[in-house]
Amino acid sequence: MNLHVDSATDVSAILDELRKSGRSARVRTMNFVVFVDDPAHRSWVLERAAIVAAKHPSRLVVLDSTGATTGVDVTSSTRDADGATIVSERVDIGVGALDHATIGSLTQELSVPDMPTVLWWSGARLLQSRTFSGLAQNATTVLVDSSGTARGAETIRELGEFLSRFPGVVLGDLAFMRLLPWQEMIAQFFDDPSLREDLFSLESLDIESGSEAEALYLAGWLGSRLSWEPSGRDTFRDRSGRTIAVSKIDKGDQRRVRSVVLRAGECTYRAALSDEDENVVELSVGGGHTARKRYVPLQNIANTSLIERAILESRRDSIFETSLLTVRELLG
Amino acid sequence: MATEVQALGRSDGAAATNPLRAGMDASRIANPCNVVFFGASGDLTKRMLMPAMYNLRLGDILPTNFGIVGFSRSEKSHYDFREEMKEAIDQFSRSGEARDPLWSDFANRLHYIPGSFDDVEAFHDLRRQLEENDEKLGTEGNRLYYLSTPPSVFGKIVQQLAAAGLGPRDQQRGWSRIIVEKPFGTDLVSARNLQAEITKVFDEKQIYRIDHYLGKEPVQDIMALRFANVMFEPIWNRRYIDNVQITAAETVGVEGRGGYYDNAGALKDMIQNHVMNLLALVAMEPPISPNADHIRDEKFKVLSAMRPIPEDSVSKVTARGQYGPGLVEGKPVIGYREEPSVDPNSATETYASVKFYIDNWRWADVPFYLRSGKRLARKHSEIAVTFRGIPHRIFGETGDQIESNTLVMKIQPEEGVSIRFNAKIPGPKMHIRGVTMDFNYGTGFGVVSAPAYERLIGDAMRGDATLFTRWDAVEQAWQAVMPILTRWNETRIVDFPNYLAGSQGPQNADALLVADGREWRRI
Repeated sequence: MNLHVDSATDVSAILDELRKSGRSARVRTMNFVVFVDDPAHRSWVLERAAIVAAKHPSRLVVLDSTGATTGVDVTSSTRDADGATIVSERVDIGVGALDHATIGSLTQELSVPDMPTVLWWSGARLLQSRTFSGLAQNATTVLVDSSGTARGAETIRELGEFLSRFPGVVLGDLAFMRLLPWQEMIAQFFDDPSLREDLFSLESLDIESGSEAEALYLAGWLGSRLSWEPSGRDTFRDRSGRTIAVSKIDKGDQRRVRSVVLRAGECTYRAALSDEDENVVELSVGGGHTARKRYVPLQNIANTSLIERAILESRRDSIFETSLLTVRELLG
Repeated sequence: MATEVQALGRSDGAAATNPLRAGMDASRIANPCNVVFFGASGDLTKRMLMPAMYNLRLGDILPTNFGIVGFSRSEKSHYDFREEMKEAIDQFSRSGEARDPLWSDFANRLHYIPGSFDDVEAFHDLRRQLEENDEKLGTEGNRLYYLSTPPSVFGKIVQQLAAAGLGPRDQQRGWSRIIVEKPFGTDLVSARNLQAEITKVFDEKQIYRIDHYLGKEPVQDIMALRFANVMFEPIWNRRYIDNVQITAAETVGVEGRGGYYDNAGALKDMIQNHVMNLLALVAMEPPISPNADHIRDEKFKVLSAMRPIPEDSVSKVTARGQYGPGLVEGKPVIGYREEPSVDPNSATETYASVKFYIDNWRWADVPFYLRSGKRLARKHSEIAVTFRGIPHRIFGETGDQIESNTLVMKIQPEEGVSIRFNAKIPGPKMHIRGVTMDFNYGTGFGVVSAPAYERLIGDAMRGDATLFTRWDAVEQAWQAVMPILTRWNETRIVDFPNYLAGSQGPQNADALLVADGREWRRI
């Protein structure tokens, strides 16, 4: 089923078309609202949104501010999968010419009531955008990706403010979520009690990554876990007053960390992508302690998987939030 | 001076005080340990167990410090064993070929001890290997033994472990657990004997009786459906439920296991374990927590409440069958008696159906119809709960049939839930028709569940026994089927084979339900 409506505000025609798809049995888990305003990023976002919506049957509402969509396109299709009929509903709205109030009201009218609404915001501005604020107000979960853009650091700053302004909304940042395997690898160095002491005498932290957001978040996470106080844009101070230097090296693919090196006295803890396979990490300890080199799989960090994880998370993540606030302080 | 660190990895308990671990799912990853596979040259190890271990590694479920030791009769080196396991993983793993550098890292942790299960020295070699692994791989004395062998040698292996000082009571540090493949015994007496032999060395809490059926996602979904929703529990009882049908139907024959199967049959191979486990999950009372023992307490209670079948009533409440030649999925297949390693005059049943009652307040007089068979029309496992009819009819034109509501938990190959209810057909008249509402787990959540062996081995390494069967439940299940087994052994069936391969099963099974005014759901 396909329908094109010239006027984005002709809500009754859109809803009529969507109702037709309701004649089949269907499963729906959420309203999935996606906002995109960067033409270069548009197909990247929409492809992933479509994959997620297909896997988590949803009403997908795409708010396209890139100029690529005019009016409204309503598509509804059914497919058989594993013996069940899955109905996909999607509404693409060209919102470039609409004001924030109209966008907010349209989105609300097109959402299925009594179902969670996930907003994936892929817009350049966050809190400075009234459209963002309006949509976030009606969302249960807001998902952003502060990585891979020129505004990474600025976005993180704004997210810090978001937390206090929208306390009832679950916030997720793909840039932070991507770090989980790295956090686990760093953590496992210090599971050994004989090495634990080094954790409290770290002197430097070097992070190689293709985007600034990941490096900032890793530093913020370590800082918040170890009660470090930001003391400059690239330094922390630990509880005993020792300075920890943070070096962020721009190297590698966007949204990817390449290596993390921690130093405590003579001892070096290093986790780095293997030269043989970029999905494998080589772990090594050198200097004061020595250990057999190990290889561990870098767990799947496909963006669609991260989006799915964010959708399934219904509680606020205190580890993320404290890391975020630490980064905000670090950025000054 | 440099300190030698055994490996880069987590240490049991220590991780809890690592501040970087805050917020991480600590229960996901197992403690450092060695896994010993007895029967390491066998098909199960190659097709299921080793691919499962490798996938656990890829999924970062295995602990950082782990070792795997294969133990089997064939003479081969560590190197040969690694090569063989690499081939097995390449062929059977769901993640495809094993590649470097992860494969090399994994392979370095694989070792092999050749020896028969009578060979005391081989078990001492095993001990030396495990101690070496503790030292070099940091496995901390933790051991998981997996008996992937014929049941006849379970007792022997356990004795040898104890004799070599590998029993848990000899351990200076760490834990020991043992996974035992089904069948656990061949009847009640042999099961009790086996239990007595194993518990001479292992405590019940250290014994993990594996039933891979319980590792399937939809089986676990039964509990979520029942106890994570409020709408089913109030009607989950004799006031509203008319009957429950549990089906485990296969299209395959004995698949090269004729020798084993001909001594087992459908009752022992499927009903006594897989199907009884499903019955327990669907009929048990709500456990007070997800704790393994709380769930297993409830399963035991409900199995204890099964009404014993008097031997002289067996023929009235059971039916058995054996398949003859026929067509399965459009292809001709041979009959059971023509299968390799099967007695040409075999009286072993390849189909069994049984009617049970559960004598408690919730289920009094509600029949539970259980059936399982090979070479049936479709591969199909489900639990169908049929509700009572409406008490008073006010809707529906003459001729409209008002169906009983049905809730079906689909286990395989489809995984989901469907509900059948009545609705009005649009139009001026009040015509009523049954309609089905379907939910499918895969498409509903878009998540592909891990194979059962991966889930279960990971659970055993973590010490989570929820999905493993406790002895009291095994014993109760044997008690429930013993009268049938005894009677069937005493009365020789003359009409075998009595159903065509690719059919719905034998006619006498239909008669079982017809006598109650009901019928089987179509497979």
